[in-house]
Amino acid sequence: MGTSLCGRASVVTIMKNKQKMSSPFKSLLSGRLAVIAIPYVWLLLFFLLPFIFVLKISLAEPIMAIPPYTSLLDWGDSWFPSVQASLESYLFLFSDSLYIKAYLSSLKIAVISTILTLIIGYSIAYSVARAPTRWRGILLMLVILPFWTSFLIRVYAWIGILKTEGLLNLALMTIGLIEKPLIIMNTDLAVYIGIVYSYLPFMILPLYANLEKMDMSLLEAAADLGCRPFKTFWTVTVPLSLPGILAGCFLVFIPVMGEFVIPDLLGGSETLMIGKVLWTEFFYNRDWPVASAVAIILLALLVVPIMLYQRSQEKAIS
Amino acid sequence: MKKFGNFNILALVIGFSFLYIPIILLILFSFNESRLVTVWGGFSTKWYGELMQNQGIKDAAWVTIKVAFVSSTIATILGTIAGLVMTRFGHFRGRTLFSGMIYAPMVMPEVIIGLSTLLMFVALAVDRGVMTVTLAHITFSMCYVAVVIQSRMSSYDDSITEAALDLGCTPFRTFILITLPIILPAVVAGWLLSFTLSLDDLVIASFTSGPGSTTLPMKIYSMVRLGVTPEINAVSTILVGLVTLGVISASIIGRRQKQNVIKV
Amino acid sequence: MSETLSASPWLNSSEKPYIQIENVTKKFGDFTAIDNLNLDIYKNEFFSLLGPSGCGKTTLLRMLAGFEKITDGRILLDGEDISEIPPHLRPINMMFQSYALFPHMTVEKNIAFGLKQDNLPENEIRQRVEEMLELVELTDFAKRKPNQLSGGQSQRVALARSLAKRPKLLLLDEPLGALDKRLREQTQFELMDIQEKLEVTFVIVTHDQEEAMTVSSRIGVMDSGNLVQVATPTEIYEAPINKDVADFIGDVNILQGVYKGQNKTGTQLESEDSKSIVFATQEVDASPGDMMWFAIRPEKLEISKKKPSDNHNILKGKIEDIAYGGSFSTYHVRLDNGRILKAIRANRERTEEHHLTWEDEVYLQWAPHSAVVLLS
Repeated sequence: MGTSLCGRASVVTIMKNKQKMSSPFKSLLSGRLAVIAIPYVWLLLFFLLPFIFVLKISLAEPIMAIPPYTSLLDWGDSWFPSVQASLESYLFLFSDSLYIKAYLSSLKIAVISTILTLIIGYSIAYSVARAPTRWRGILLMLVILPFWTSFLIRVYAWIGILKTEGLLNLALMTIGLIEKPLIIMNTDLAVYIGIVYSYLPFMILPLYANLEKMDMSLLEAAADLGCRPFKTFWTVTVPLSLPGILAGCFLVFIPVMGEFVIPDLLGGSETLMIGKVLWTEFFYNRDWPVASAVAIILLALLVVPIMLYQRSQEKAIS
Repeated sequence: MKKFGNFNILALVIGFSFLYIPIILLILFSFNESRLVTVWGGFSTKWYGELMQNQGIKDAAWVTIKVAFVSSTIATILGTIAGLVMTRFGHFRGRTLFSGMIYAPMVMPEVIIGLSTLLMFVALAVDRGVMTVTLAHITFSMCYVAVVIQSRMSSYDDSITEAALDLGCTPFRTFILITLPIILPAVVAGWLLSFTLSLDDLVIASFTSGPGSTTLPMKIYSMVRLGVTPEINAVSTILVGLVTLGVISASIIGRRQKQNVIKV
Repeated sequence: MSETLSASPWLNSSEKPYIQIENVTKKFGDFTAIDNLNLDIYKNEFFSLLGPSGCGKTTLLRMLAGFEKITDGRILLDGEDISEIPPHLRPINMMFQSYALFPHMTVEKNIAFGLKQDNLPENEIRQRVEEMLELVELTDFAKRKPNQLSGGQSQRVALARSLAKRPKLLLLDEPLGALDKRLREQTQFELMDIQEKLEVTFVIVTHDQEEAMTVSSRIGVMDSGNLVQVATPTEIYEAPINKDVADFIGDVNILQGVYKGQNKTGTQLESEDSKSIVFATQEVDASPGDMMWFAIRPEKLEISKKKPSDNHNILKGKIEDIAYGGSFSTYHVRLDNGRILKAIRANRERTEEHHLTWEDEVYLQWAPHSAVVLLS
């Protein structure tokens, strides 16, 4: 009897609740909207909206004022403002071959670095994934550790090594491999070394995540059917690790296109990278419109890869 | 068929040497008596002493820590909400844009993010300082947190949430009592990640900071442009040491947790 | 024990159903998972939703729980429309297929969780938790955490947790799927006992037809979002409504025949296989010449090397395969026209006279009341 009383009481409670809330599902819905809005609005304001400003300023002209650019709308005396937009900055970029060269050079460096990082990263990731289980955790931690260390510091560490009077030359000359010091510092080679070194963890992590989950029985099945280890690697392992390869390549290629710190510290004056160009235009030339135009064009070039990256990640998680 | 053969061992040895030798050399030469990189003048901690005298570095360190703490805490909150929205709220209008805004900052070149954020602050006549750097850091850090949480939720057993609802728990209380405690390790990992990213950021801070809000990376960068000095090595060694301690302890805690809690 | 009206409330027209599913449709985009379904479930029933994967049984269960919104139609619980009520406000509890125990809480806290949400006083919660632990025989496991429990123990904690609030309706989603055979059989009887003792209405989703037959008061067979037949286990087995239901539950031989008419023995069909007249006792409304089917369960086929004395309901064939099952054997008999029929016979004797082996020529016979005529 006690249970039936409880049952009736709960039904009555439902009736009471129903009278209080017109539709319980609906009130949950408005709460839902608020929750979505919090991060959404933040990102709209602080991530997306700034790009509108970059576009706006790329259409302005540099002037000696604070801020150092003309405003888009000139209110003047009339009711409606006139739009002062100028494509001067863009025309400048296309006319001066330096900028086009910088974009192409950035592309070249990004592609080559990505390939180098892929080769080295894959070897390391593969070896850690194949290591005995009890070692894997420690090995992975050792791979990630440099990642947590400051990017700037790691790049800086190479300066002391690659300098003409640096440790590498000292070591090679002491061993007797070379007579004159190698000029590596302030060349493209130093930039490559710096990029591969700094971005290696970004390549290794997604590769490892993929390789670790790989079903070993697939490789065993291939062997059972007569496939040699080398061939198995190329026909089974690599295709299956493609999502990890793609993720790693995106994580290296896209940011390297706009990389600044490494070419600035390790590269020479002939090392043209668009990130450095942007920095120079903004901080040294104080030409904000041109800097903005550089950014817009770089963004336009990277939009497709960024979208591809986003799509690949969404697919991977679902 | 050898599973872990000689090639693998060779790859690991070479790989780890490549990764660690620069750092080890860096640490080594922070104790170098001589100012020169190639001449070992004997063991000395004098550069650490000089470091302690350097007010510029100390101020920058303080700014950096403040920014890192505040930005990572807020970024973790925003990022956790974002991660949950992405995995638990199904389809809603504008979801594609939201997803794009979460993933784009992770790959976008920092110069673009830094420039754009600064230009907006200038156009809105916002004074640049500690706050603007913090706001910028929150924005890109929350995306990393969102991805970490998203990844955690993809292996989360949905029926646990349903069970809590079924037993009479409101959606909000379910999040607090059930979901959050279970995903807490991921949330903490997100916080640590944000903290590190903020601590380490040079480019975005350079664009968005103002007078009196120089961060440590900015200070180190300006010192590096002037040339390699053991003082820089010293400050680097301290940072590396702190981070190593953090990572090792986090990894030990993580391992101990795994033994206690079932993977849900 | 004879079936009294109170044991079969669906037969009593004055009895009001406890759960009424009225014209319920569920669409996922273009895909219709549940198509205009109507079902009445009565108080204290142990009702099973049975069907192949993808038939919509789990979707229907989740709509009862409130985890899926109804596209069209409504659901009434004890007369009240609960269609718009969110899951945490319904007096319904669910036992999940994955058990869904809270990993960071002890067994005790798991069971107490629902009671805590109702803000019951501490001592009442403690008492109820003890009761539940006794019910599922896990009193010594109160302080353990879910990762310290075996599969069977986890299942019982999940059951205790879902019953702690004394819900009027308990939904069970494939509760025995993860258990091994012996444990499953034992738990089936335990579930039935608990259901009777606590007087709770159970609705269980399962794809295991043996399980459904064992535990249910009635079974609702579903296919592609529709309820095909709702009846007691006996009725479903012995009087399936169509070929699909007959085939889904247990083994069955389905044969085609042409309607010839009715006489005092029953319905006359001309069998397509033997071209002889077969009888089934049930009455069928049809015209001569109509094509239909009749179903015979393998255990109702008498198999013998001796030609039966009477002449009706006989098929002749040769034994092609034998599956020895210890207590009974299944014989696959190939008829003269090529069709294979299954006959099951208990291995009651060990004498030579009853021994059947491969290649034996045998006669299959069945009583008229053993066959079911199916119109579709």
